[in-house]
Amino acid sequence: MAGDVGDPVRPEAEGATSGGLRERLYPFVVGARRTWGQFTQSRLGVIGLLVIAAITAMAVFAPVLAPHPLEWQAFGENPTFSEAGKLPHPPAFGDPFFAPLGTDSLGHGILTQLIYGSRTALFIGIAAGTLSSLVGVPLGIVSGYYSNSWIDESIQRVVDVMYGLPFLPLVIVLVFINGVTTFNIIMGIVAKSWLNNAIVIRGQVLSLSERPFVEAAEASGASDGRIMWRHLLPNVLPLGFIYLAQDAAFAILIQASLAFLGLADFTKVSWGTMLQWIQVEGYIYTAPWWLFPPGIMIALLAASFYFIGYSLEDVMNPGGGS
Amino acid sequence: MARITGRYLLNRLLVSVVTVYVLATLLFVLLHAMPGSPIDSLIGPSMSTEQIENIEARFGLDQPLWIQYVQFITSVTVFDFGFSVQTLEPVRQRLIDRLIPTLVLFAPAFMIQYSLGSVIGTYLGWNRGSKLDFTGFTAGLFMYSIPFFWLAWILLGVFSYELGWFPSGSMVPPYTTSFDWLTAVVELLLHMTIPVLSLALVGWAGPMLVMRTTMQDVVDADYVDFARAQGYDEPTVMTRFGARNALIPVVTQAIIGIAFMIDGSVIVETVFSWPGIGQLLVNAIFSKDLPTALAAFYTLGVMIVVLRFFTDVVYTLLDPRIEFGGEA
Repeated sequence: MAGDVGDPVRPEAEGATSGGLRERLYPFVVGARRTWGQFTQSRLGVIGLLVIAAITAMAVFAPVLAPHPLEWQAFGENPTFSEAGKLPHPPAFGDPFFAPLGTDSLGHGILTQLIYGSRTALFIGIAAGTLSSLVGVPLGIVSGYYSNSWIDESIQRVVDVMYGLPFLPLVIVLVFINGVTTFNIIMGIVAKSWLNNAIVIRGQVLSLSERPFVEAAEASGASDGRIMWRHLLPNVLPLGFIYLAQDAAFAILIQASLAFLGLADFTKVSWGTMLQWIQVEGYIYTAPWWLFPPGIMIALLAASFYFIGYSLEDVMNPGGGS
Repeated sequence: MARITGRYLLNRLLVSVVTVYVLATLLFVLLHAMPGSPIDSLIGPSMSTEQIENIEARFGLDQPLWIQYVQFITSVTVFDFGFSVQTLEPVRQRLIDRLIPTLVLFAPAFMIQYSLGSVIGTYLGWNRGSKLDFTGFTAGLFMYSIPFFWLAWILLGVFSYELGWFPSGSMVPPYTTSFDWLTAVVELLLHMTIPVLSLALVGWAGPMLVMRTTMQDVVDADYVDFARAQGYDEPTVMTRFGARNALIPVVTQAIIGIAFMIDGSVIVETVFSWPGIGQLLVNAIFSKDLPTALAAFYTLGVMIVVLRFFTDVVYTLLDPRIEFGGEA
């Protein structure tokens, strides 16, 4: 899919006797710099990055930004009957309390929940994306480097079989049996999302293995581990980042879907649980100030990750047949 | 060439069989990983030991584990899942009742998604770098990122709650059998409109992205220039010479697309109360009817495996040039 990285990253310090940490990481630095240079050419990718930066700031500074603490309720914990009748409360001027986006049916501020909810979404996206890269990238490199051996064969068969499993139903059953915790949800997502990583990275390694720089390293007696770590890994990392971003977006959407089904950690506020709550309380069609913000935020964050992923892919594969 | 194709298909068949076997074993493990006994909900405090043993024998729970495993695998292979602990009906009958609605909803939705996505992708890839390309690409990715159930709620809110044009859920109104067939079909179409529309809105991006990328490789190909030089007008060059050659990766993508859609059936059918297998799974899980839940899970898995194998066959027929021996 995403073609070449351009020139392969060559560790220029190859063969030098001193092996400081800086030198060891040199190929990664070169690779990162080149990818960054390509990435900033894409308008869409930069937009995505800015949105993610903004949402990250929102998550970090949530207590400062939010107008109220999470526990705050518009009429206190025990509203009178007539007060409770005003909930959920639309955003309006002249309220005795300050709720810029209105409140939900318990009087919690929508804006406050929205700001705190960014923490869960970012955490799930980044954790699931990183974990599936940590599983998928090494397996992809090993599988591609030892292609057509039993190692490759067994990894490929496992991937093949796992692709056939119905993913969302599996996550639902697993989460239901093991208990609905954020950790289990992330694990359920990662169990499937590393597959794409492994397949694409393997393909990339297959084509890289035929390049002269890998042959040269082999000829100069580098061990398999060294070739994979110093020569192959830096060259597949940009591709790994594409899939990390896409997996993060995917994980955020899956978390929301699970919350919709009632499978989410309801002790922590998230955009998914906000939507689940509006459904349980039955205000989907009557409280748009409550319905729209969480969905828009989910779409915005997931889209930003997709923007980064696909624009990287676009930059690296500028088209035009050879 | 034919020999390679045959070997490839045999290989795929083997993978399919192993996948189904793994699926069945997974079910068995899950069933036994559950705390308590599957028949807990059927046992009352006033029952005698003998009565409880009777129930256990009825569900085969008095046998040693390995016999249970062998029996489980053999019966699951022929879709015999015993009886639902919730309704005490045979699970198989419930599955068959649910299979048709799932297919009725997803087959047309899938076709619309894929034709729409391919056409838009062709156009965007052909005009790569244009303003339209940027807009379409951005819009596609954004639609792709919208939580499906949320979009469905909004569409239902507008077209069903506010305007009242379409029903808000389920497949047909109650007592359909008393209608004549024309009314029944019209009702079915009305009920299908919003689900299919929302599926198409979210799903066209997948094939669009693939088509757009492959069109970029085709756009500069020599035979495209040659077709232009022969005097074909631009739309003809784009469709007959460009798109046709870029279609193959879209077919590959369709394998993933189908699996993705069947996956999503749990959400889609829940949000629209569509009486299909996905909804059966969700309902069974929340009423702790594990045999039915696992049977629905198994059926969804088998559907994916069968459809993947079918797509593989079509793929092989489509393009005999592709050599599968060396894992492209």
